[in-house]
Amino acid sequence: MNAATDRLQATWSDPPGFIGWLTTVDHKRVARRYIATALGFFVLAGLLALAMRTQLAVSENSLIGPDLYNQMFSLHGSAMMFLFAVPVMEAVAVYVVPLMVGTRNISFPRLNAFSYWVYLFGGIMIFVAFFMDVGPEAGWSGYVPLSSSDFSPGKRTDFWAQMITFTEVAALCVAVEIIATVMTMRAPGMTLARIPLFVWAMLVTSFMIVFAMPAVMLSSSFLISDRLVGTQFYNAAEGGDPLLWQHLFWFFGHPEVYIIFMPALGMISSIVETFARRPIFGYVPMVLALVATGFLAFGLWVHHMFATGLPPMGNSFYTAASMLIAVPAGVQIFCWIATLATGRLHLRVALLHVIGFFALFVLGGLTGVMLASVPLDLQVHDTYFVVAHFHYVLIGGAVFPLVGALYYWFPKISGRMLSERMGRWQFWLFFVGFNVTFFPMHYLGLIGMPRRVYTYPAGMGWDLYNFISTVGSYMIAASVLLLVINIARSLRKGEAAPADPWGSPDLSWAVSSPPPSYNFAHIPVVTGRHPLWADDNATPEPRLPVAEGVREDRREVLLTTPVDATPCCRWALPDPSIWPFWSALAITVLFVWSIFDQWGIVWGAIPLAITLTIWFWPKRSDPSLKHDEDEHTDEGRDDGEPRHAA
Amino acid sequence: MSSRCRVELVALVTAMALIASGCDRERRAYHQAPEGTNPGPALTDFQPGSPQPKVASAIGQQYQQNAYHITQGGRLYRWFNCNGCHNNGGGGIGPALMDDQWRYGGSIDQIHSSIIEGRPNGMPAWHGKLTDMQAWQIAAYVRAMSGNVSKAAAPSRREGLAATPPFTQVPEQPPRGSEASAQSPPPQ
Ligand code: HEM
Ligand SMILES: [Cu+2]
Repeated sequence: MNAATDRLQATWSDPPGFIGWLTTVDHKRVARRYIATALGFFVLAGLLALAMRTQLAVSENSLIGPDLYNQMFSLHGSAMMFLFAVPVMEAVAVYVVPLMVGTRNISFPRLNAFSYWVYLFGGIMIFVAFFMDVGPEAGWSGYVPLSSSDFSPGKRTDFWAQMITFTEVAALCVAVEIIATVMTMRAPGMTLARIPLFVWAMLVTSFMIVFAMPAVMLSSSFLISDRLVGTQFYNAAEGGDPLLWQHLFWFFGHPEVYIIFMPALGMISSIVETFARRPIFGYVPMVLALVATGFLAFGLWVHHMFATGLPPMGNSFYTAASMLIAVPAGVQIFCWIATLATGRLHLRVALLHVIGFFALFVLGGLTGVMLASVPLDLQVHDTYFVVAHFHYVLIGGAVFPLVGALYYWFPKISGRMLSERMGRWQFWLFFVGFNVTFFPMHYLGLIGMPRRVYTYPAGMGWDLYNFISTVGSYMIAASVLLLVINIARSLRKGEAAPADPWGSPDLSWAVSSPPPSYNFAHIPVVTGRHPLWADDNATPEPRLPVAEGVREDRREVLLTTPVDATPCCRWALPDPSIWPFWSALAITVLFVWSIFDQWGIVWGAIPLAITLTIWFWPKRSDPSLKHDEDEHTDEGRDDGEPRHAA
Repeated sequence: MSSRCRVELVALVTAMALIASGCDRERRAYHQAPEGTNPGPALTDFQPGSPQPKVASAIGQQYQQNAYHITQGGRLYRWFNCNGCHNNGGGGIGPALMDDQWRYGGSIDQIHSSIIEGRPNGMPAWHGKLTDMQAWQIAAYVRAMSGNVSKAAAPSRREGLAATPPFTQVPEQPPRGSEASAQSPPPQ
């Protein structure tokens, strides 16, 4: 440790103890707890699924009654989508993106901390509500009129609608941070054409979040105001429209599945590139495919509404658009296959999960193309065929890459290696268990078993397949348990991880594992697409050029231009603060209060306004506002001229 | 123990406490009605001898706090054409139900027995036409019409034409005088 890193450490580290834990704005710390929380919700929602599968194991089972079953599948779906899949992807990005682009923190660190607290409180709220028998009951898609006051009396659906508002606030905050980080904080020299594919994927995802999430927030706010004060947004008799719900929901809901899936594509690119030991084949088509998917995803939502009786011409358009999206997906799959086929494969557990992804996602994609055709969709709408399809794309397309990414980035995040041997067991259990669970559901759907039913009569020919499916779900549970054990064991006594255990090409592996609070001792300068590789054979690059001139006595980062990433100015990021936490608490009070009383919005706004005001009030004592006297001596140094370090 | 574990522990303990306290407002009794019978409430305060304490039945309480039963009552109210005489609570052939005036008492027990037994001048006896559970559900809904319902359990706008303000917005009008019985004779 030299004097410079000591100074950096002093500037960037959090206050010690519980206060530091509560006030931290370090993207790595926030991301770590974000990931842990999201995985916690995954386990909870998974346990609900296990309970449902147990109920369905045999016909006319009376383990779980209809009312509880309704709440269980609704909470399972909602928690998996809103509390696990989207947040966990964003959380990984919050950790990795600033490292990959070579900067010292995420762009709006306090907003980031705020986002986490809002997310956590929203998640706790819905699970507490569930345990109090106020769980959601109208499915994860909350269709009206099923979710309106007549058919979902009480406060169950209000909690659900408000949980959506919580998670969307959190997701929008992170999306804005990631866009700003990628557009303005990239290391000098990291032009648009040199951005790692994971960062590209997160950039496109974040833009999608910005456009998609407001639609669902709007629709859920309409719903809660229909339920609370009797507005008539969705009441056909009074000039409202139940179809409006479906349009708004699916205008969000379809992009949502790509918001889950696109970060996974980025993870796959990182893993494939590293373990195939060669640059990704077709970088430009890959980027274009991501962007095209981002645009196309907004033109497909009606394929969820074929059964609502829209005009055939409209349906045909959405069928065509749905099939079109197979093109960019295909481009990416072929690029990866080409990369793998021409690379030197290191078949680690991370790559194993990616290969599992290929198999499962292709199957899910095929049933997707089937469902995109109206006649078939009308036959299997709301059957287990659909349940099979979306679990193949969601688990095969997102959870498998995510678990792979966990193996890949765990050493960076924790400084420990995971056991590969256990990882292989875990992978095979997961892969086999997944297919045993969900493959029979295709057939169940085709022979007519509807989804969202708590039991079924004997003698329909459904018993055997349901039983097989339940057995599979226990295999998945065993696999998840193994993953948890692996993580716990490694955290205790895992082998220490070097800075770059896999020989990866991007900047996040240039720093120690886990990275220091300031990430980079010197801001790196990028001269190619693979800063840590000397050539296309993945030979490690021994020298990384760096820039100087960024102050060490306050939380300063270098801002660069959006396209060419030439340095443009230095910018001080804020210090730790407790106010994001209090603001999140105040907004939680407002949201929960407004479930019961419309005046909660008015009175609840007062503490919120107070906390936000204090948060944003510039304080002279903030080191980030410090302009000390020797500022002028700094001006002689240049900002970000590349300089080669030994 | 790390500080995160501590936070989670607190959350868990709170959750457990909440489960134990339960939430009757939300229970859905699809197949099984709450237990108990209507004790046969007095319809007026006139009684021989010294005044007897009025007992509110436990079963009535269960219905009138339960969101599902109240909403269900609203649908039965329309299906059994209570609207034909009482309109949407504003009254017509029969008296208004959305105000604080009750000829035969405004407690849920009294309304329940008005429904089951029928009343002079045209109110039919629904005994044998409705199950007991359905009569209780309608009684709970009728009380909600005059705002005598917890706002957390009140139904809001219904599907269909908006004939009444949403019950979440109706001000509470307790039956005139004491809760449990009709104090004043009907206005002439
Ligand atoms: C961990 C293994 C999983 C199992 C065993 C499982 C099982 C189930 C079951 C049994 C249902 C209810 C089907 C019905 O009654 O109609 C269901 C519904 C659903 N699942 Fe999963 N699931 C798993 C993971 C996931 C994941 C990871 C996601 C999303 C990222 C997810 C998203 C959904 C959704 C959106 C629904 C529909 C809920 C609704 O009908 O409203 N599931 N799942
Ligand atoms: Cu879709």
